[in-house]
Amino acid sequence: MSTPMSGGALSRIGAIVAKEITDTFRDRRAMLVTVITSVVAGPIFLALILNMSANQAEKARTLKLPVVGAAYAPALIAFLERQQVTIETAADDYENRIQAGDMDVVLRIEPDFESAVKSGSAVKVKLIYDRSRDRARPAIEQTESLLNGYGRLWGTQRLLLRGIAPQVARPLTVESIDLATPQQSGSLVLFLVAYYGLFAAVMGGMAGAIDTTAGERERGSLEPLLVTPITTFELATGKWLAIALFNALVVALTLAGFYLTLRFAPLPAIGIPFLFGFTELVRFLLVLLPLIALMPAILVYVGMRGRSLKEAQANISVLLFLLSMVPVIQIFSQRKEPAWAAWVPVSSQYAMLNRALRGDAIPVLEWLQSAAAPALLTVLALVAAARLLNRVAARAPS
Amino acid sequence: MIDVGQISKSFGRHAEIKAVAGISFQAADGAITGLLGPNGAGKTTLLRMLATLIVPDGGNASIDGMDIVRDRAEVRRRVGVLSDARGLYVRLTARENVRYYGRLHGMRDQALEARVERLLHELGIGDLADRRTQGFSQGERMKVAIARALVHDPQVMLLDEPTNGLDIMSTRNLRELLRAMRAAGKCILFSSHVMQEVSALCDTIVIIGHGRVVAQGTGPELMSLAGEASLEDAFVRLLGSGEGLAA
Repeated sequence: MSTPMSGGALSRIGAIVAKEITDTFRDRRAMLVTVITSVVAGPIFLALILNMSANQAEKARTLKLPVVGAAYAPALIAFLERQQVTIETAADDYENRIQAGDMDVVLRIEPDFESAVKSGSAVKVKLIYDRSRDRARPAIEQTESLLNGYGRLWGTQRLLLRGIAPQVARPLTVESIDLATPQQSGSLVLFLVAYYGLFAAVMGGMAGAIDTTAGERERGSLEPLLVTPITTFELATGKWLAIALFNALVVALTLAGFYLTLRFAPLPAIGIPFLFGFTELVRFLLVLLPLIALMPAILVYVGMRGRSLKEAQANISVLLFLLSMVPVIQIFSQRKEPAWAAWVPVSSQYAMLNRALRGDAIPVLEWLQSAAAPALLTVLALVAAARLLNRVAARAPS
Repeated sequence: MIDVGQISKSFGRHAEIKAVAGISFQAADGAITGLLGPNGAGKTTLLRMLATLIVPDGGNASIDGMDIVRDRAEVRRRVGVLSDARGLYVRLTARENVRYYGRLHGMRDQALEARVERLLHELGIGDLADRRTQGFSQGERMKVAIARALVHDPQVMLLDEPTNGLDIMSTRNLRELLRAMRAAGKCILFSSHVMQEVSALCDTIVIIGHGRVVAQGTGPELMSLAGEASLEDAFVRLLGSGEGLAA
């Protein structure tokens, strides 16, 4: 038996929302956890990644190349120096240094370089590196590219000297056309922004929700509540709304953090044009809206099931962990998503976030598809929570 | 007033736990009625039915003429409950705790604020009104819980083991409060397994054992019924044993 929704119901729900939000904001532990894991972590991580990328770009431009035996190939050295490379003498223990990560790459020229050149045979130089070191990659790749360039130049000269057109030796030219717009590069940055935006939507309400739901049962404050005119559905709805509003705030703050980080980051240096402007922020919010509504409803149901704070926390943690794995699985699956994926919560949001970051507009139809399941599940979760509360109230006294 | 007629409730998949097996009694306005019985006798279940938390299996009960099943909303308006679990919100102030319940009862603005202020003052915790209930003592918590239960000015008060865990001062305070409410014409029903409490406060006593009414009446009536010179002995005699009762 439940009273129909009326002015009274709305004002009661309003009272619950006001009380729960006040209570959550005063819960220092929950606020701290939320701020650290959801609001601040994403932008900070992003700033670190951008900083690292910028440093790598810097290093690539001013390449310092340690050389062993520079005296044996003066022409090669001169070429490299003309390409803005700074030549250094390599220390004797360069192999150890490379393995330890102190040096990125070493060029070794053997004493027989000159004689090999004179005799017209193939000339070898050695490039020593550890390719498994991420930090060293730009230096390695740039050095390889320069040396190959020198080799081609030299080869072309030899052919010309013999009166052979270079095209004879290189009949096939490959012209690469990269369809990636400037916005589509920087894929790590893209992933990060999408993932943490999703993370904030999924996890943002969690810390506050646990006390709002299970805390009520553990503290025994549920019974006196049920003796007021309130219905269990109103109670579930009020708590849901409070958690959802808090969740929305967390998401908004996280996205604002991204916006500000990318705004003040040294972007031109790494070649990513500003890809998280105000439009993207709004698009993100719209895409995440269904999740911001759905997650709190699930939290209310799961939380109210728990007989104690610890139980609820355990259940909720597992659930949220599984959900946050969805985008990671998508990354590794590598295949294009099937059409029905547009209906699957979390997965569909993740796909649309990536599209938004690429500068695409979100088609209304697709958004509706992504919102349908969450809307339905939200209502189901709230109804289930209300019925659960009824059962809790009617249970035998212990 | 409260009117209970052969009310019963069983729990368990096959209704094997007969918590309340046909209880009838009345509690008048301007009087304190006590439910005395050992733990597990069915007092709590009975009170929860009257508070409309549980639906009885059989029999009926009405509060101020409103049936507890058919007129649930009306009953809730008339009833204030103080149960064992105080359940205060520790991050909210005393005022906010009481105000929350007032809002849930549909009270608003000036009327609500004035009522909350008066209640907290009358209960002697006016100066604690804007402190978070986090560090409140037992007695102070009890008073906030009472204010919360009284915010909508109910005619009937249901108290389940109200002095559980209270120190002497707070117990005395509570007794004074209950007497004041009785003087104001309210109908008070409280359950206890402490004999002294019941004998000190109650006008009418309903002795409950194994989900049934064992005997009911005023103190003197029960003493003569049991043929005992003290209420304590009368209780033990009527219940059949002193087990589960406290002095």
